[in-house]
Amino acid sequence: MRTLITTFASAALASCFVTAPVAAADTQQVFEFYCTQCHGPGGKGDGPNVTKDFPVSPRNFTNAEEMNKLSDADMKNVIMDGGPSASKSPMMPPWSKTLTEEQVDGLVKHLRVLCQCEGKQG
Amino acid sequence: MKSITTMALGAAFLIAAVSQGQADPAEGKAVFEAGGCGDCHYTEGPAREQTIEDQLSKKGPELWYAGSKFQEAWLAAWLVDPKPIRPLKYNSLKEDNPGDHPKLADADAAPVTEFLMSLTSDEVESGAVKPKKNPKGRQIFTKKMPCNGCHEYTGRKKKILGGRSGPSLVEAGVRLNPDWILAYLQKPTVFKPVKMMPVFVGLLSDKDMMNVARYVASFEPKE
Ligand code: HEC
Ligand code: HEC
Ligand code: HEC
Repeated sequence: MRTLITTFASAALASCFVTAPVAAADTQQVFEFYCTQCHGPGGKGDGPNVTKDFPVSPRNFTNAEEMNKLSDADMKNVIMDGGPSASKSPMMPPWSKTLTEEQVDGLVKHLRVLCQCEGKQG
Repeated sequence: MKSITTMALGAAFLIAAVSQGQADPAEGKAVFEAGGCGDCHYTEGPAREQTIEDQLSKKGPELWYAGSKFQEAWLAAWLVDPKPIRPLKYNSLKEDNPGDHPKLADADAAPVTEFLMSLTSDEVESGAVKPKKNPKGRQIFTKKMPCNGCHEYTGRKKKILGGRSGPSLVEAGVRLNPDWILAYLQKPTVFKPVKMMPVFVGLLSDKDMMNVARYVASFEPKE
């Protein structure tokens, strides 16, 4: 319900500034708040949680070669359900109960901008 | 409206204090307000954070459920000698915690502790969680979910391990009320509707939550 209201509010805002990509700005905030603590401010996999004993490096989102191996659906899946859902490390948390599907779709687009890559198709 | 609530609350404290024969919480509230603590901490629930912006605009953690969250002895000692709890500066992912929290004199810390301990939430079931190092809890904390990816804890040979974005849990067993740890996991929207920590409701079973809460509540500070 609350997220619905927020969505309506931002939709209303969006219609005031027809030209500005408001959704992208929201996504940037969501990315910074939830993801950069591990993936780093520029998405390079170097957030403050990545200390010497952090067992696996969080994906470097600017590495086009690695990111190209993932389709948009793969990314959405791993963001929603966490590393183990894609046979990856559980150090990548599941966000399905924290973020809305729209927010995750926004994040997938955002990661494509960071990697400058299209990803695996289909 | 707010001042009416404050007055009503103050009166309630006075009555409570008189009936218990000690004036501490009301005195503590006065010290809290005079000391500017309210500039950075709010003390009346329910949770006010609805958006990421709300959370990022705060200068310090909310204290409206402090009496349910903290252990009294820890709180009394911390107010006199506040050591960093969060490895990083509040609401920052770049700077370290400067460790410059205002200190209280002994004489003020006692009533402020009473005041903060009087701020409780009835969403916490008391006596539910018995602290215990248990392998299931440990497995959840370090393997099934990345709790240790964001929280410091003490590993083998008393080494501090873990991530830095969340509050350190190294002293969780003396700092936090075990029952609150479970309530915090079970009722994320009550205590912290917007936070960098994932919601685990529906991902961890009630049993898992109990086991990990018991495990975290067993963390003792390294000497
Ligand atoms: C607790 C630290 C942590 C947080 C917070 C985190 N991640 Fe990750 N993430 C990881 C780790 C570690 C990996 C690498 C897993 C592996 O390679 O086994 C990863 C991998 C990924 C991958 C690649 C998965 C694959 O199949 O290669 C994507 C996409 C991703 N994260 C997106 C996100 C997004 C979006 C957010 C914010 C909502 C986020 N992550 C938050 C730690 C984290
Ligand atoms: C300039 C802002 C500021 C002021 C003024 C301030 N605090 Fe704090 N307080 C903080 C921050 C930031 C933290 C987190 C510290 C940490 O994690 O080490 C904190 C933490 C706390 C905590 C622990 C809360 C938790 O959830 O971990 C208590 C209790 C507390 N403060 C009480 C007080 C009291 C009592 C006063 C008045 C004497 C006061 N504070 C004044 C900013 C402030
Ligand atoms: C992606 C990072 C992340 C993960 C994963 C994570 N936490 Fe947290 N946790 C945080 C942050 C950040 C806070 C502080 C939230 C706030 O007050 O704004 C927190 C707060 C807490 C607190 C309250 C501490 C205090 O002093 O206020 C407890 C207890 C806790 N987490 C336990 C856990 C447990 C148990 C797990 C695993 C099931 C876990 N966390 C997973 C980031 C994380």
